[in-house]
Amino acid sequence: MKRHFRELSVAATLGLVLLTLAVFAPGFYQTQPLLSLLTREAPTLLVACGMALVIISRQIDISVGSQFSICSVCAGLLAGMHWSPALVVPASIVIGAAMGAFNGLLIAGLGLPSIVVTLATMVAWREGLRWLRQGIWVDLPDGVQWFGFSQSNGQFVIIGLALLLLVLLAFAVKHLAAGRFIYAVGSDAEAARLAGIRPQLVTFSVFVLMGALTGLAATMNVAQSPQVDPNSGDGLELRAIAAVVVGGVAISGGRGKLWGVFVGLLLLACVSPALTHLHIAAFWEKAIQGAIILLAVIADGLRNRKLVHA
Amino acid sequence: MSTEKNRFKNTLLRHETILLLVLVAEWIYFNMVGRNFGTLDNTYDILRHSSEIGLLALAMTPVILTGGIDLSVGSLLGLCAILFGKFWRDAGMPIPLAAACTLGIGAAAGGLNASLITWLRLPPLIVTLGTFSLFRGLAEAITQGSDTFTNFPASFLVLGQERMFGVPTQVWLFFVVAIGIALLVHRTTFGRSFRAIGFEPEGARYAGLPVNRRVAMVYILAGIISALAAIIYTSRLGQAKADAGTGYELFAITAVVLGGTSIFGGTGSVAGTLLGVAAIAVLNNGLVHAMEPREVAGMLTGALLLVALASSVITKKISSRQHRRQTKPIQPTQRT
Amino acid sequence: MKRIFAFLVLCALALAGCSKPADTTPASGDNGGGKKFTIALLPKSKGNAYFLSCKKGADRAASELGIDLIFDGPTDPDPAKQNEIVENWITLGVDAIAAACENKEGISTALRKAQAKGIKVITYDADALPDAREFFVNQATSQGIGYALMDEAARLCNNEGQFAIITGSLTAGNQIEWRKYIQERLTDKYPNMKLVDTRSCDDRKDKAQDETTQLLSAYPDLKIIVSTTSLGVPGAAEAIKQAGKAGQVKNIGLGLPNENKRYVHDGVTDSVILWKTENLGYLAVEAAYAAAKGTLKPGDKTFVAGSLGEFDINGDNIMLGKPFIFNKDNIDEFDF
Repeated sequence: MKRHFRELSVAATLGLVLLTLAVFAPGFYQTQPLLSLLTREAPTLLVACGMALVIISRQIDISVGSQFSICSVCAGLLAGMHWSPALVVPASIVIGAAMGAFNGLLIAGLGLPSIVVTLATMVAWREGLRWLRQGIWVDLPDGVQWFGFSQSNGQFVIIGLALLLLVLLAFAVKHLAAGRFIYAVGSDAEAARLAGIRPQLVTFSVFVLMGALTGLAATMNVAQSPQVDPNSGDGLELRAIAAVVVGGVAISGGRGKLWGVFVGLLLLACVSPALTHLHIAAFWEKAIQGAIILLAVIADGLRNRKLVHA
Repeated sequence: MSTEKNRFKNTLLRHETILLLVLVAEWIYFNMVGRNFGTLDNTYDILRHSSEIGLLALAMTPVILTGGIDLSVGSLLGLCAILFGKFWRDAGMPIPLAAACTLGIGAAAGGLNASLITWLRLPPLIVTLGTFSLFRGLAEAITQGSDTFTNFPASFLVLGQERMFGVPTQVWLFFVVAIGIALLVHRTTFGRSFRAIGFEPEGARYAGLPVNRRVAMVYILAGIISALAAIIYTSRLGQAKADAGTGYELFAITAVVLGGTSIFGGTGSVAGTLLGVAAIAVLNNGLVHAMEPREVAGMLTGALLLVALASSVITKKISSRQHRRQTKPIQPTQRT
Repeated sequence: MKRIFAFLVLCALALAGCSKPADTTPASGDNGGGKKFTIALLPKSKGNAYFLSCKKGADRAASELGIDLIFDGPTDPDPAKQNEIVENWITLGVDAIAAACENKEGISTALRKAQAKGIKVITYDADALPDAREFFVNQATSQGIGYALMDEAARLCNNEGQFAIITGSLTAGNQIEWRKYIQERLTDKYPNMKLVDTRSCDDRKDKAQDETTQLLSAYPDLKIIVSTTSLGVPGAAEAIKQAGKAGQVKNIGLGLPNENKRYVHDGVTDSVILWKTENLGYLAVEAAYAAAKGTLKPGDKTFVAGSLGEFDINGDNIMLGKPFIFNKDNIDEFDF
């Protein structure tokens, strides 16, 4: 209980929000809108999981928004050329992984700082996409939406896929050696190296995984509507990092739980719907999200102080 | 040990020299390719357009030198801009008083960052990510998104739009701040401690440096400079809006890193930052004069940043290999 | 380090000083020197299908007139970018500027400078302050657009019921204007209708979809969603469709026909209001050219724009016409 205190406190906050809604705006609890909310957040969950791993390994990746946009547009274009979803999804994953690999090569291979590398790639890829596509939407042919399933089946598929990956990743990170290497490298790369782990390979792989997850998330987003907006990735990196931070993953590396990220994401995703249902004006949204992030961060800090001074 | 210091200094100087050469190359290229690029008017435009961002980059330099980062400077610019407008229009303050209060707000905001980072020992990236959202959110909430502040008195607009002694007014202010920061960072023991703190905070603490106080100072300073930039921005546009300064923090970080400051802290220079700001500003301006679309500027800036980083790492590796070759191993016969 | 700094300053000033003198900006007629007449078209932002379709018309006008057209705009949300682009065009020496203004007051600062240098300024789509430009090519007045949206919404709801607005951002100048006029029309003519909420989609279709889903759930009696951004209508339509409320909750807004054809045919979106954007671009370029050549002067009552024919001038507003309502019956005739 104490070990998971941080994650549980986020869950408690989420519970408080949900309780407030139950009392003051019970209309929030209808199946279809809730299902929609979860389906719409599923892609962000995948990206947040990837981001959590990146941050646990003591790096950061702020280029995921641009990667997401590029993969979305590519997936849309391929679907438009009548590729079947069975090919479009892997293609998008590969494109994302390739971009992740580019980041990884510079960060792990040349030892360049991740925040600067991903800042550069974020800008370069975003502007490159805009230059090529000029912001035009991609129209998808009929039958592509929901991967060809009906709406409710498609929604279950997407939510299920996201949850499945969450569970798989959480399992892998805890029980597979490769997963534990991520924590090791994030904790102390030098000690990890001396213990026989290859930090550069681990770092590289984490970025490739991030890209692959982003590519998959992009297809899950594309499948939810008949048109692709090339700006759909705008601000995604901030949403993912916010979810990770609120979820209790330490930016200094080496610590964090994926299910904490899940809860953090839900909490942040509820802010806008809660405002709407409680009839609070829209211009409070950013301030409240910023406050949640800060509170989560302060909570971390207070706990650190207690640990240090204990 | 002194050879190491020289080698180190050489590498640093080399980075800045290369950046200077890049800047000169850009200038020559755009002079040839662009229409009316090399005129005095355009040079003033470049200086005016990069004043606020340049100020943010200057504010960011000591922060990054101490091994920290401040993602909230752009949002703080927006918040200060609308608060400045509010102080003047709604609270009826005269412009100088409103400006002073705005600078105070900037200091307080920087103080918020500072207290969370030093007192709670939280990572600057995360704290300033939170304040990045919070400040922008407050700006939107206070203005309800749509309120804007305009019709400032002409005497105020002189700051951003007119010239003083032939040079755009805000450029004088920018140079004063630039020289001030440069002196602080490079010529005072106070400022030199920033690099020590960035290089090895624990070591600095054992050496007796009041690390927490120094670190707090850089964030408060960053807040004040952001507020100053907000005032100049408002004067240049003649309008204050909640979305002012969107994206400026990334530009500032790019300029600082391009200028050779390590993002991990410990090494860097104000001159490098200025060169970095200049290189990007000239690139953006030059591409417009060469009739290239904006997107190309973004792509080239990203590429330039990567090339600059990669080359500095590669040159360090080469020079360390050279150094190893130059150091003769001790021969047994030389033992005394 | 200070040496480098000083060297940089000297470099810049020296290069600026001994560079070629500016091509004086010619707003008057002929360019005997062989430099082609250049008009610069400023969208609110690049990467926006709406402005791209304006550009198509503008390109047509440019080729008919035999002039050069520069099309460039901000690629990020920084409100100061439009000013910087205009100022760059001033030094570049364009002959006329046609601008769609994100910030009415802010952009006027730069446009006035352009006028002072002899460059003719026309605005289109979103106006600046009247003294900063000669004419405003008005696709429809803000009042006309706001009233049209409100009237169409009321018509579809039999003048009673709740409705909500999806806006692109809370800070965009012209969207604020349109919302103001929607509110005005609502209070004047439709006492049985109620505006329950206004939400921003941050210029993203996906967010418009999310916000609409929540609106549908929070306000079960909602009758219609009105979008003041072209990103709102398709996003809202998808949300209504997924909620199974197509036909029960109506959907209208400003938007491009191509992006909405699908939903209009499915009966999810009832009407899309816009105007002939290509003609808007065409008219803007023609007007800018005519103003620069002197054939369009303040006080004129009509204006003949190339192959489009004659347009009325209302004061200093060149009227494109009235807002056009696209619906099931006519949307297929259009391709933009």
